[in-house]
Amino acid sequence: MVLDIPTFLGHLHPVIVHLPIGFLLLAVIFEFLSYFKKYKELKTAVSLTLLLGFVSATLACLFGYLLSLGGNYDAQILANHKVGGIILAGISGLLFLVTTAPLNKIVSAYRRHYTVICLFLLLVVSYTGHLGGLLTHGVNYLSLNIISEGVANKPVSVEEARLFEDVVQPLLNKKCAQCHREGKMKGELSVQTYGGLMNGGKSKSVIIGGNLDKSELYKRITLDPSNDKHMPPDGKTPLTQGEIGILKWWIEKGMAGKGEKITDLKDIGEIKPLVANFLGFGAALKSDEMIPQIDNKVNSEIPLNFNIGFIDSLRNHGLVVRVMMHNPVMLDITLPAGSKFIPNSIKTDLKAVAKNVIWLNLSGNGLTENDLDFLPKMTNLEKLRLEKNPVTDKVTNLLLGLSHLEALNLNETKITGFCLEKLKQMPGLKRVYSWHTPEK
Amino acid sequence: MLKSPEFKRMNQSLDRRNFLTKTSLGLGAIALGSLFGNSVFGKVTGANGHEAPAATLEEEILRAIPHFAPKAKRVVYLFMSGGPSQFETFDYKPKLTNMFGQPLPDSVRQGQRLTSMSANQSILPIAPSVYKFSQHGETQTWISELLPHTAQVVDDLCIIKSIHSEAINHDPAITFFQTGTQLPGRPSIGSWISYGLGTDNKNLPSFIVLVSKNAVKDQPLYARLWGNGFLPSEHQGVQFRAGKDPVLFLDNPQGYDGEDRKEMLGYLSKLNKLQNEPYGDPEVQARITQYEMAYRMQTSVPEVMDTTGEPSEVFDLYGPDSRDPGTYAANCILARKLLEKDVKFVQLYHQGWDHHGGLPAGIKKQCKDTDQPTAALIKDLKRRGLLEDTLVIWGGEFGRTVYSQGKLQPNDYGRDHHPRCFTMWMAGAGVKPGISYGETDDFSYNVVKNPVHVHDFQATLMHIMGIDHERLTFKFQGRRFRLTDVQGNVVRDILT
Repeated sequence: MVLDIPTFLGHLHPVIVHLPIGFLLLAVIFEFLSYFKKYKELKTAVSLTLLLGFVSATLACLFGYLLSLGGNYDAQILANHKVGGIILAGISGLLFLVTTAPLNKIVSAYRRHYTVICLFLLLVVSYTGHLGGLLTHGVNYLSLNIISEGVANKPVSVEEARLFEDVVQPLLNKKCAQCHREGKMKGELSVQTYGGLMNGGKSKSVIIGGNLDKSELYKRITLDPSNDKHMPPDGKTPLTQGEIGILKWWIEKGMAGKGEKITDLKDIGEIKPLVANFLGFGAALKSDEMIPQIDNKVNSEIPLNFNIGFIDSLRNHGLVVRVMMHNPVMLDITLPAGSKFIPNSIKTDLKAVAKNVIWLNLSGNGLTENDLDFLPKMTNLEKLRLEKNPVTDKVTNLLLGLSHLEALNLNETKITGFCLEKLKQMPGLKRVYSWHTPEK
Repeated sequence: MLKSPEFKRMNQSLDRRNFLTKTSLGLGAIALGSLFGNSVFGKVTGANGHEAPAATLEEEILRAIPHFAPKAKRVVYLFMSGGPSQFETFDYKPKLTNMFGQPLPDSVRQGQRLTSMSANQSILPIAPSVYKFSQHGETQTWISELLPHTAQVVDDLCIIKSIHSEAINHDPAITFFQTGTQLPGRPSIGSWISYGLGTDNKNLPSFIVLVSKNAVKDQPLYARLWGNGFLPSEHQGVQFRAGKDPVLFLDNPQGYDGEDRKEMLGYLSKLNKLQNEPYGDPEVQARITQYEMAYRMQTSVPEVMDTTGEPSEVFDLYGPDSRDPGTYAANCILARKLLEKDVKFVQLYHQGWDHHGGLPAGIKKQCKDTDQPTAALIKDLKRRGLLEDTLVIWGGEFGRTVYSQGKLQPNDYGRDHHPRCFTMWMAGAGVKPGISYGETDDFSYNVVKNPVHVHDFQATLMHIMGIDHERLTFKFQGRRFRLTDVQGNVVRDILT
């Protein structure tokens, strides 16, 4: 749709509408204050303020009419709002008129009556403004019941939360219902209830369970933000990655969860942190983590806080440090072959990052077990390459405590069957390489 | 014009200091200051600031990599160029035996396109494999008698029988496999990996290409298949020559100590930097990097090429060709040595699989040349513990038709190109060993279960390396490109 000039002016209604409210309120205040001696000069200002109120109210009526042409508003509220606005403009115009030259003499005789009419004007402003508020924010916006209900029904934990009622519906209410609701129905859609969602809007059904590609709602929220059809439109708060993730999951799973708790559903691994974040449980996640990850199997013993200065330090010492993952930091460290020994400065750094080392390659360095005193600290180690080092069976004791160790390369070392036998005590150890050792 | 914001930004993004910053948390700690030797515990190279604000979105993208913990840190991709027939290798179709010479049912072909080479044939006669299949390994996988050595390692392979492509001719198909698009000009997989993950060994290129000399060169290969496309030039695959001297002119002449060349290169580098400062041309930057790499390769390449340290048992394992540099078998040994040095992406090409006619004899020779070395590479990597973090890939650009192209004879036939289903395998880090994935119909004409598109394969490969294929992008000509274009799903079923 091309935005033509009448529609554009119509969109100015929400801006202009606050002017008459302000002006007329001020006029009434001035009128009252002028009874006090101290402020009696204000009486002369009432006339001009009313004029400003009248002009802006007239404009607001005009723009409001243009706006009403474009939207799907509740007809009754809209009609009342319209009449209210016109009456308001009319009264303010009349009140101004009687302050002008030929009439002002009569008015000064009926000063009290004039003030009462001003009070009535105040009532009309409030009433019309309230109706306007209902049109934009919905009938429930100012209802104490609904607000307190929302607080009372808030789930106490992720496990307790119901996917649709506590997560999806509030999410849609928060981000979409300002326009897509009973009484406004932009695009003929209301997202306020499950039924409303199912009824769809102008583009027929907006959500098709299990079919993301055909679900108009998902398509619209994931379009490029510069696209005209992207929702929410420019200026409104867009959905976060986490919120999109929740909707995606909900649609993919066939919109399951009417009344079902999250824990009753399957494969909740990826959705749980997003829901926790949405409901405000736990620390806020970074935007990166909002995107559901395919691999969630991360060893929880890896410390989350990490000083990356150690990476620079290790690299400056000539080690190859590969960051395998950022959060938590998982490192793959290689000591270049031919290093002969490990200086204490490196050992200190290795001990400092020990719990973050997941893969370690020390192959071909002429190391013995005496060089490896840092190994027992690396409790999260999964792959260790010790091949081509003259380590003997004594290395075994350094390894036994590494409960996460999966693969151990002892090729071309001096270990014997004794070591291999001992290693069998390690339940997590899946593969040991012992090619070219005295054992074979 | 050089003061325009675009140039300023480009200058910034390619600024050496920024580049260092970028890599400080990324994978490649590229010590650019180490042009002239670098002792392991020696001098401390320039302190890299970390967490500096990223100058561009591209930098931010790189900084976020890896997106998840990688399973593999190296890839060796054995590309069987020409389109190996699935019928004589991995896709066992016993029902065809009784259908010799019968026309291919229309219900199978469903009007799908054929190449112009066989579209005008009056009959499309079904040609069952002349080679026998038997079951091997604990998994009892059916393997052709042409691949006796591969059969020994079948329990390590993850055989994908349902891979399918979109292109039906060699050039677009191989370009599609290598770059994700049928049209030339996009970066190769190895270049994307090199760009995204950097290098683990600064003395060797991170993407190395080896082309067998002992193959029938029926279909050409071109350097753009391992080209960097629009990525910075230092990420292009470096092709080693097939032969004794894989990189020419590395040796110093007798009695020459190289001192003045070192000096000359120092000045050249200064000149290049001088040029780079006002113009910010990425190609100048690439040239600087390449000169530095070439200098380091003077020592690193002869070292890795030297096979005198290899016991004869190794040559026996890889087969008789392995003593002849440049053959597929010798390239397999070289590949293993490069992987041992932590080269990130090694790609071997072996041509000669395009058997439009005389397939039984042709494929027998191809298998003889490649079977033993391929299996030996798996065994060798496995016993050295390298299969732990190396992904091995075997496959061509498409498969071949069930019907014979040209006249069908009891012992001779040909097969035309067939992209709708063919077989590849992966082995090593990140993939389940000893499984077959996907199924084709009785004619190996259509996929009936678990199809794997080329983009899916690429997405899976990237995933195993720790990259989310949807998040590694590069902006070029106003659009952000990725290897898998707008498609690709990770085949999670085959991941460990």
